[in-house]
Amino acid sequence: MRLTSLKSRVFGNGGMIFAAVAPVLTLLVAFPLLFVVLQAIFPDIARGIFANPFSRFVETLFDKHLISWTLNTLMLGGSVVLVSALVAVPLGILRGLFRIPFAGLWDVVFLVPFTIPPYIAALGWIMALQPRGYLEQITGLNFGGFLFSFWGVVFVMTLNVFPVVYFAVSRMVASIGGRYLEAARVSGCPPMRSFWRITLPLTTPAIAASLLLVFAMAIEEFGTPAALAARSGFLVLVTGIEQRLSDYPIDLPGASLLSVILVLIAMAAFVLQNRIVSRRDFQTVSGKPGASRPAELGAWRIPVVMFFAVIGFLGAVMPILSVILTASTRTISGGLAADNFSTDNFTEIFANSGGAMEALGTSLSLGLGAALITGILGTMTAYVVVRQRTVSSRILDFLTLMPNTIPGVVVAVGLILAWNQPWLPITPYNTIGILVLAYCCLLLPYPVRYANAALRQVSVSLEDAARVAGAGGIKVFFRILMPLIFPSILAAMLLVFAVAARELVATILLAPIGTRTVALFIWRQFEQGSVGMGMAMSVMAIAITMTIPVAVAIWARKQGRLF
Amino acid sequence: MVNAENPSLQTGSPVIATGVSQRFGSNTVLKTIDLNVAPGEVVALLGPSGCGKTTLLRLLAGLSRPTTGSIHIGDQLVADAGGGTFVPPERRSIGMVFQDYALWPHMTVAQNVGFPLEMQNVGSAERDTRIAEALGMVGLAHVADRQPGTLSGGQQQRVALARAIVSRPRLVLFDEPLSNLDRELRESLVVDIASLLRKLGMTAVYVTHDHGEAFAIADRVAILHSGNILQIDAPEQLVGNPSSPIVVDFLKLGLVLPADVQGGDLMIGGGARRLSPPAGLVNGSRSGQLFLPRSALLPSNGGNRVAAGHAISGTVVHSMFRGDGYAVQMRFDNDISLEMFSTTRLGDGTIHDLDISWDRAFWFPHEDVQTDHTHNA
Repeated sequence: MRLTSLKSRVFGNGGMIFAAVAPVLTLLVAFPLLFVVLQAIFPDIARGIFANPFSRFVETLFDKHLISWTLNTLMLGGSVVLVSALVAVPLGILRGLFRIPFAGLWDVVFLVPFTIPPYIAALGWIMALQPRGYLEQITGLNFGGFLFSFWGVVFVMTLNVFPVVYFAVSRMVASIGGRYLEAARVSGCPPMRSFWRITLPLTTPAIAASLLLVFAMAIEEFGTPAALAARSGFLVLVTGIEQRLSDYPIDLPGASLLSVILVLIAMAAFVLQNRIVSRRDFQTVSGKPGASRPAELGAWRIPVVMFFAVIGFLGAVMPILSVILTASTRTISGGLAADNFSTDNFTEIFANSGGAMEALGTSLSLGLGAALITGILGTMTAYVVVRQRTVSSRILDFLTLMPNTIPGVVVAVGLILAWNQPWLPITPYNTIGILVLAYCCLLLPYPVRYANAALRQVSVSLEDAARVAGAGGIKVFFRILMPLIFPSILAAMLLVFAVAARELVATILLAPIGTRTVALFIWRQFEQGSVGMGMAMSVMAIAITMTIPVAVAIWARKQGRLF
Repeated sequence: MVNAENPSLQTGSPVIATGVSQRFGSNTVLKTIDLNVAPGEVVALLGPSGCGKTTLLRLLAGLSRPTTGSIHIGDQLVADAGGGTFVPPERRSIGMVFQDYALWPHMTVAQNVGFPLEMQNVGSAERDTRIAEALGMVGLAHVADRQPGTLSGGQQQRVALARAIVSRPRLVLFDEPLSNLDRELRESLVVDIASLLRKLGMTAVYVTHDHGEAFAIADRVAILHSGNILQIDAPEQLVGNPSSPIVVDFLKLGLVLPADVQGGDLMIGGGARRLSPPAGLVNGSRSGQLFLPRSALLPSNGGNRVAAGHAISGTVVHSMFRGDGYAVQMRFDNDISLEMFSTTRLGDGTIHDLDISWDRAFWFPHEDVQTDHTHNA
């Protein structure tokens, strides 16, 4: 009896899970973020002193950099949104409404930008468009001036994020396409008019929501503006924060205030996005994908396919091609000459030149660690949140999803501030542990959200049926729940692995001296001029983050019907 | 303009489909079909899923094009595969009610209902009157300003009905409109739809897989099977005079027993049971299917009726109390079962003889199952 009641307390109502998870989440998420806010208010908090609150506040707030960086951030985010809308909304609508030749291929091609870390894509574009880059060698055209300008940053970032809008819009348009359009046609509405009256208004929330997501992604991105525009003095909040922390004198209050501003902007975007997505009409539309019958393009076939092909080439092929070319040529100055091609760069990587193999090993272990921790933590939290609808479980939900709105650079600032507090008996700072903390905090939302969605699909009666059949709480969890939700959690863990293994900005700020990761290796090689080796490492990073998920998916499918 | 107070005024147009078929690649979903619907008539297309009923409805709506054949709505030729004519749905002056309601979530109930009028450039004052009138007809005048998502399924389908009739279309199409609703709602809504269509004198084609619904709503019911119309008749006629064993089976009208004819007797189950019909029932055919409607099976008076080949015995699977009597599931030869009605509870597993009244029996000879049948009445 005693044992059963204990078990039911553990898994029946999630009380013990809550007790286990809450302090971990507090330490992982709330602790560092709290210190970002505290630092912005108390300038001497780094020494553990709560003195002179707001004494530096006004001075920092009216820092001319702060205003210009904030404006730059908004301008960059807005421009990326604008260009993404111009490119991806038409693409998505075309894909949703019409039978596009090679439609499946375009969907795959537009997924590729998700698998290329933005900083690698930016480096690829530099190699292609810089003076004496590949484009100039082939065509004689030099777009270097454009690439290293504001619009160059917008261009490269748009190519990285536009698929978010494309997939959201095309899915929405396709699900409207079937029933809602047929109802309009039968009611006497001609095709063009039903597009304006039915399709477009119903797609607007999806367009707005995905563009807000693009905005958030754009203002949080570090690699692209750092690689392309920092040298010309164009700084945004993210690159500004990084500069405050890496250039002497290190300005902690300034970095914190900038972080708070950045978080507020990002949060505003997310809140707005969330409000749109949870609107009733959005949900009724997206709920049921009808059997849509795409229309024929007719004479527009060729221009439309050209449009898809050009964007696909720019977004997916060009940066990867450029990275591969650089990786497989001996010297940059040698250019695209036949005798300049070699596997030297890869040979050097495998020979551990510059600590390449160590960096690879570190990144893979960090990715694996982060995936395991967030997977377990995320599943436990999701279980409490889904099955135990109380105030405390909602706080957990908030804690785990909040990092979603927090840029990586801010998490890094928080970790620096929090774990350097003089009163701490032990600290992971200056060890590789701090990177694990950073990745777990940043990526926890993925497993939580995936596990959450999966758990909601599992009816409580499935658990009840197992209990009635004689299984205890723990058995129910491992025999009934886990098999049902594991595929989702595995997918989330793969995502965590892929992102953590190549994370850039938090790693730059937090990695202990002498620790190298893949991202750091690539970044430093590029800064030091050994571009070829950096690009060879990029090729391997892309290959690993692309092939491991595919391999696991194939393995999972072979395991049979469980997945 | 039609006066709603004058029920005799008909707005519906006749519909004539001639030689209509549809193929998707090598897959023929609708074989060559003829269908004539009189003005103001309600025809139900009844059949199991995949029989082609929805395909036929979509052809009438103009949501797909026929592979062969032509369709007229009123005087207008709306589709002619041979001549290449195809009028898109928005120029057919029709109304349609969908299975999943298909109310536009970004418009209010009134905007949804008024949309067809807006498409006809009806002025806003008149539009408001007619929206109110249509919503009144379906009993939902009070929800005009609500968003459709806030209504129950039954209410949403009533709004969809109002939208389909508001412009007084020549033809209203129903695509299994009630299958997403629960039974009670279905039964009340089917009455409402039927009386509304009669009141407005509208021509309607109603697709369903539920024969109760089809019988309740339609003047004539077309039974579709594998892309063919097997029979199209008034409900009474379908039940009293089914044209084929498939119709009998689909409508669950009684027992269908495959039989060989030997010396005037029917050998069922390879000779396990012998029945002796009166001369003339099988009419010279050598094999076929004996159809015994429920009304042809009566509790036996005893005697040697089974041995004489004038009765059949069945085993009671279970008796279910139905308020006014018992629905008795009985199993007969060859595992064929049939739900019978009894005023008393029959014990599970007991065997009962049922006398055959031969004057109500049908014989479907194998030679020509589809069309011809002999009715010994």
